[in-house]
Amino acid sequence: MTTTPETTASRGASSAAPPLDPAERLRLERAFRVPRARFLTGIPLALIVLAWSFWGAEFNFAKLGEGTVNMGEFLSRLFPPDFSKFGTIVALLVETLQMAIVGTVLGAVLSLLVAFTAASNIAPPWLYYPARWVMNIIRSVPDLVFALLFVSAVGLGPFAGILAMTLGSLGSIGKIFAEAMESVDRGPVTAMEAVGASKRQVIHYGIVPQAAPLLVSYTLLLFEGNVRGATILGLVGAGGIGLELTTAMRMYDYGHLSAIIICIIALVTVIDQGSALIRRRIT
Amino acid sequence: MNATISAAALTPEARLLQALPLISVRNLTVAYGDQPVLDGVDLDVRPGEMVALLGASGSGKSTLMKSLTGFAPITAGTARVAGYDATNLRRGDLRKLRSDVGQVFQQFNLIPRLSVLTNVLTGALHNAGPGNLVGGFSSAHRRLAMHYLDRVGIAHKAKEPARSLSGGQQQRVAIARALMQQPRVILADEPVASLDPKLAGSVLGLLREIATEDGIPVLVSLHVLPLALDYSDRILGLRQGRMLISAPTHGLDAQKLSSLYDDEGEHVDHHP
Repeated sequence: MTTTPETTASRGASSAAPPLDPAERLRLERAFRVPRARFLTGIPLALIVLAWSFWGAEFNFAKLGEGTVNMGEFLSRLFPPDFSKFGTIVALLVETLQMAIVGTVLGAVLSLLVAFTAASNIAPPWLYYPARWVMNIIRSVPDLVFALLFVSAVGLGPFAGILAMTLGSLGSIGKIFAEAMESVDRGPVTAMEAVGASKRQVIHYGIVPQAAPLLVSYTLLLFEGNVRGATILGLVGAGGIGLELTTAMRMYDYGHLSAIIICIIALVTVIDQGSALIRRRIT
Repeated sequence: MNATISAAALTPEARLLQALPLISVRNLTVAYGDQPVLDGVDLDVRPGEMVALLGASGSGKSTLMKSLTGFAPITAGTARVAGYDATNLRRGDLRKLRSDVGQVFQQFNLIPRLSVLTNVLTGALHNAGPGNLVGGFSSAHRRLAMHYLDRVGIAHKAKEPARSLSGGQQQRVAIARALMQQPRVILADEPVASLDPKLAGSVLGLLREIATEDGIPVLVSLHVLPLALDYSDRILGLRQGRMLISAPTHGLDAQKLSSLYDDEGEHVDHHP
């Protein structure tokens, strides 16, 4: 009798092992497999959803083509940039930066505190679920709405912007912080429980040091986002360079506008590069 | 604080107390759902001895270890560990019990980014005092931690992050952490399963030395027979949740222990 691969395989296995369906074995061993039905139905479905979305969003290549002329005209008006009010721009950018720093620090500290209550390996369920809900609600509200809310509460100026940024950070990064803490290796946590450490000590030694690189990395990303976000908040009068930007637009002061934009790009680039450098170092 | 209690300093009564088993388990049953993992297990571990726990995968070695420190639920029977009743612990007592039992794990379980010294210091967390709220350890604790690092031969790496050490070195640090607890018993669950044979021997030698010289009994689970025969005073053999063998090592050989591994169909691993 010739030995088929099948009998060789079953000889090696323990007698208790359930037999593998020969058809299934053949399927597993074949180099090219016929895709499963759910994959074949999934692709047309995804294409339909995509087409439906293009249609709903009124996406139109022809219109885009026609528009390039206007776009070019707009861009040409931005040149040459007018740096005559460079001092004002720098002062406002510094204010924007200061807002972003305070907003990030407050946001990160609050997010860390909330994250402890929203990490399933730290918090009990009665704390975990409400914390997650609160963060989901905060995240679904646009930062601009918070800015309007705080402008009406504390008046125009950077303070309102900082409050909006802090609250916005809580929604965006609180959940990410919580997930960073949930993803730590269980081993050191078990070891800390095994030495008789308190709950606080288990978090302090077993969880936070392991999550630290991710926490710092996400905080830097938050800071980058806040610098960019702070330029928007000015639109509703919440401080920073945004107000100057909209004013220049409304006054058709294109030279000044383009100087502002160039300065924002320079600042954001420097900060993004710097933070990328730090993140590479720590992870 | 009393760093090490030397045997000579003990009163006769204390010596007598020391001779009593520090782990005493009777008719222990552990079940997840209605699937018993351990079924009527008895065992004693006395001061100064190194006891090897053998058994095939899924025989319940790990579960037995875990049940002794409240990491696995005891369904029936009694377990006295380091003076505590492990079957009936209140929350505060559970932490006290755990702080009195040094544990060594297969995967070392050090905190990878923290220094070797800090890792050893975490063994003293249960009596670190209020200063630890700001992350500090007293200089007495630091001296003691360095003493134990000297003992396991890793003092020169004290400042390095734990993750930069080799497996054998990490396990030595983990043993120093266990010693830092001033434990009454040490439980080592497959401590050398991730190490090469030479390192395995040196780590087990260190544990044996701790058992004989410091009088801290070590219960160690192993899956390599020759290592158990070389380094233990007594061997316990589990098979399918029952204690099949309990005898001094010198009367045993690989032949007699092979019954533990007889193939009786596939065992299902219980790792909840």
